[in-house]
Amino acid sequence: MKANIPTDREIVPNQVLSSLFTNKRIWTWIGIALIFLFFLLPIYRLVALSFQQNDSFSLANYTSVLQDATTWTVIQNTIVIVIGSTAISVSLGISLAWLVAYTDLRAKKLMQIFIILPFVIPSYISTLAWTQFLGANGLFQQLVALFPFPVPAINLYSLVGIIFVLGLSHYPLVYLLSVSVLRKIPRELEQASRVSGASRWTTFRKVTIPLALPGIASGGFLAFLANLDNFGIPAFLGIPANISVLSTYIYQQVVGFGPTAFATAATLSVILGVIALLGTFIQWLLLRKSKRIETTIEDKQPRYFLGKKKLFIEIALWCFFLLTSIVPLVSMGMTSLLSAYGVDFTLENISLKNYQFVLDTSPKAKQAMVNSVKLALITTVIGILVGTAFAYYRIRKPNHLNKWAEISIGLPYALPGTVMGLSMIFAWMEPIPGWNPGIYGSVIILFIAYLTRFLILQVRGSITAVMQVDVSMEEAAQVSGSNGWSKWRKILIPLLLPGVLSGAFLVFLTSLTELTVSSLLWSSNSETIGVVIFGYEQAGYSTYSTAFSSLIVGLIILGFIVLYILEYFWNRKGLKQA
Amino acid sequence: MTAVIKELQKRFGKFEALKKISLDIENGEFIAILGPSGCGKTTLLRLLAGFDSPTYGSIHISGTEVGNINTTLPPEKRNIGMVFQSFALWPHLNVKEHIKFPLVHHRFADKKMDINKRIKEVLDITELTSFAERMPSELSGGQKQRVALGRAIAPQPDLLLMDEPLSNLDAELRMEMRREIQQIHRLTKATIIYVTHDQSEALAMADRIVVMNQGRIEQVGTPREIYSYPKTEFVASFVGKANLIKGTWHENYFEPELASNLKWTDLGVSEELKKRNIYPLRPEQIALTNDNEGIPGIITSVQYQGKEIHYTVQTQNQSWVVHTEIWQAFQLGESVHVQMKQEQAKLEVKEEKIVSY
Repeated sequence: MKANIPTDREIVPNQVLSSLFTNKRIWTWIGIALIFLFFLLPIYRLVALSFQQNDSFSLANYTSVLQDATTWTVIQNTIVIVIGSTAISVSLGISLAWLVAYTDLRAKKLMQIFIILPFVIPSYISTLAWTQFLGANGLFQQLVALFPFPVPAINLYSLVGIIFVLGLSHYPLVYLLSVSVLRKIPRELEQASRVSGASRWTTFRKVTIPLALPGIASGGFLAFLANLDNFGIPAFLGIPANISVLSTYIYQQVVGFGPTAFATAATLSVILGVIALLGTFIQWLLLRKSKRIETTIEDKQPRYFLGKKKLFIEIALWCFFLLTSIVPLVSMGMTSLLSAYGVDFTLENISLKNYQFVLDTSPKAKQAMVNSVKLALITTVIGILVGTAFAYYRIRKPNHLNKWAEISIGLPYALPGTVMGLSMIFAWMEPIPGWNPGIYGSVIILFIAYLTRFLILQVRGSITAVMQVDVSMEEAAQVSGSNGWSKWRKILIPLLLPGVLSGAFLVFLTSLTELTVSSLLWSSNSETIGVVIFGYEQAGYSTYSTAFSSLIVGLIILGFIVLYILEYFWNRKGLKQA
Repeated sequence: MTAVIKELQKRFGKFEALKKISLDIENGEFIAILGPSGCGKTTLLRLLAGFDSPTYGSIHISGTEVGNINTTLPPEKRNIGMVFQSFALWPHLNVKEHIKFPLVHHRFADKKMDINKRIKEVLDITELTSFAERMPSELSGGQKQRVALGRAIAPQPDLLLMDEPLSNLDAELRMEMRREIQQIHRLTKATIIYVTHDQSEALAMADRIVVMNQGRIEQVGTPREIYSYPKTEFVASFVGKANLIKGTWHENYFEPELASNLKWTDLGVSEELKKRNIYPLRPEQIALTNDNEGIPGIITSVQYQGKEIHYTVQTQNQSWVVHTEIWQAFQLGESVHVQMKQEQAKLEVKEEKIVSY
């Protein structure tokens, strides 16, 4: 018998914790001011600019943008690409999720690593890998040359190519959300339906699908947003082929520096931003709906046994993983070792001179690495401190104010990167109209932009960490005579650390390889890794871009190995929740 | 006096969780606060601990005012220990470190004390010596409970607060832990305030029971007083599971509504119940017969319990719960008569001494 007595604990604002926030009012006002300045003002300035002509309110920007035939071509491209790639992401993601969640496939953990791989590797690097794999001298052509009949070359620099790479890059999003939703549907619910006389198919239709739909649809919207927001893939594949989508078109407007460039870009950004926020809102509604079954734990035991088909399905899956995750990266690695672009991959053509160029000869690449690591480190450290402090306040003292603060912090991440980058220019070029302190044009604007955009990732990671530590753990420390620093040092920090660090790792990785925002905000001497790789590729130096990218992929994989080892030792210390 | 509570009130918005209650707690007493969920017992405990501030009234612990409308002394500055319902063990610290923690941080722990010696003592009292190096994840439910107890008593606080400490354990373990908590009370002579919704826990362990309902104290008394002489309808039905029989009170006897020929003697029924014309009869105070003596009714449920049988009897105006000896077997649907058992005598509780062990 377990007494389930509701205590007043959840609804009682914990007054004692407020001793941490003495002079509470002042802190609240400082917090509101900072959130307004960093998260809301830039977006306001962007919107304001789009409604402005000759310093007065006007819809002229919108009428001229919408009357331009190019705009409509761009919008049409965007719609086709987003719908096509989302369809690929959703069908791949759901099929894999169902197989992993419900069937008796072997080596699911290893599969999961391969499924997540395209998501961890920056999309512009995957694109580079795919172009090397499917290119004129790539592995694919060498493979199909063995066939007796001619196979036409696949041109990635096209609408179809963009759809294909986007779809493959973002299916992990759908997979991750669906797999957890499917596992959380208690098998008893399905069994109850079967016992009530429903067939397997009726059960699937009337029980499984209605319960899983909100989660799956929410994953679909997430993929939709990612496809809409993505800059790297349409930039690498679309710009050479003169195919523009909203994100790349805005970028081209800004770097084109025409007389009305900023106004047009702002207007397009507002259009793109509104679509994205609408998508985020629907996704949030769906996710909230799917949380109804989240009280249950994940059931990882197989529910369907594949029987004889198992081996066949496993072989097919592994071929798919190899082909989509590993082979393109290997092709990229091979290109990076070539002494010159276009020569055959033979022993005498292999050299490390591209790596030597990137790591030694070229000052630009080295500078970019230093810049990116610095930016990522500072963003991560400040993120850990600010994000965790906010997360603690948000969970332990929930109120309307910090709920709105959380939404505001999430806004720059929900907006497409190009939109966000542009708003940063407007906000920080002249923080006070008429005063330009030179933030735009230095590395500082990148730092501000990263922190603004990625803080929410740390906040979410830390919120999960704080929620896992029951209030009574803290109360026990208080009753034992410890509050303030010793409580944090001895109880809270050790308990929060794993969750906080996994959030921090995500922030670090995303900042390190960021391209979209940086491509708008960089200036000479403040190039980042993404900007330099993009630059090499646009200038046609594929051997350099592949070498630099291979290096980054290597570093990412190394980072993950270190993380796994750390996690292993952490778990061995017996730190599992009592 | 260890703790004095004066006109304590707590509001959460419009909801009044505690309605100006007053209570004195003696040194070394084991007080059980008993009531259903939402009665305010947990609120009272959290106010005593300092996790919440009173809306009105005051709290004194060991002669110092720790809480009133204006200021609340935080928990870490109060001379208290606490055992949580969820145990609240820190997953990254082992058993020994749990007991050491308050010895290092508690403001009232004796600074000259030999910490290692005290750890040994506490491990000994809680029978955890052989588990000293274990992590919480390597302990059973009962062992976790002992660690939580050990951590609370280690700094020898004036006041030990327990928030339903046994509700997360299974039935058998609960019985065992009752004995252990009693033993710890005897050994440490600590003043204990024990919150529970389980009346048998309160009856078994407490020196005095405080019965609470809807933010008010219904009755304060020894387990015997509470059980045998409930002051209010609520105490009668919540603690003794008594049937509240309607009828009329005369000078010194009671006339049940459906059998005016019967005269039930007063065995110490409270004035309030008399005013409401109610006689509280606990299930074991009722006899079932086949002769025509008493109030007629029909048996609507039979539950065999091994050492006794529980019946529900439906009379014309209410349903009665009756416990009878095992040899008295009646059938479902059988017509019977219910009657107060005759051989009852009035207990003299006034002279009874408070016995704590």
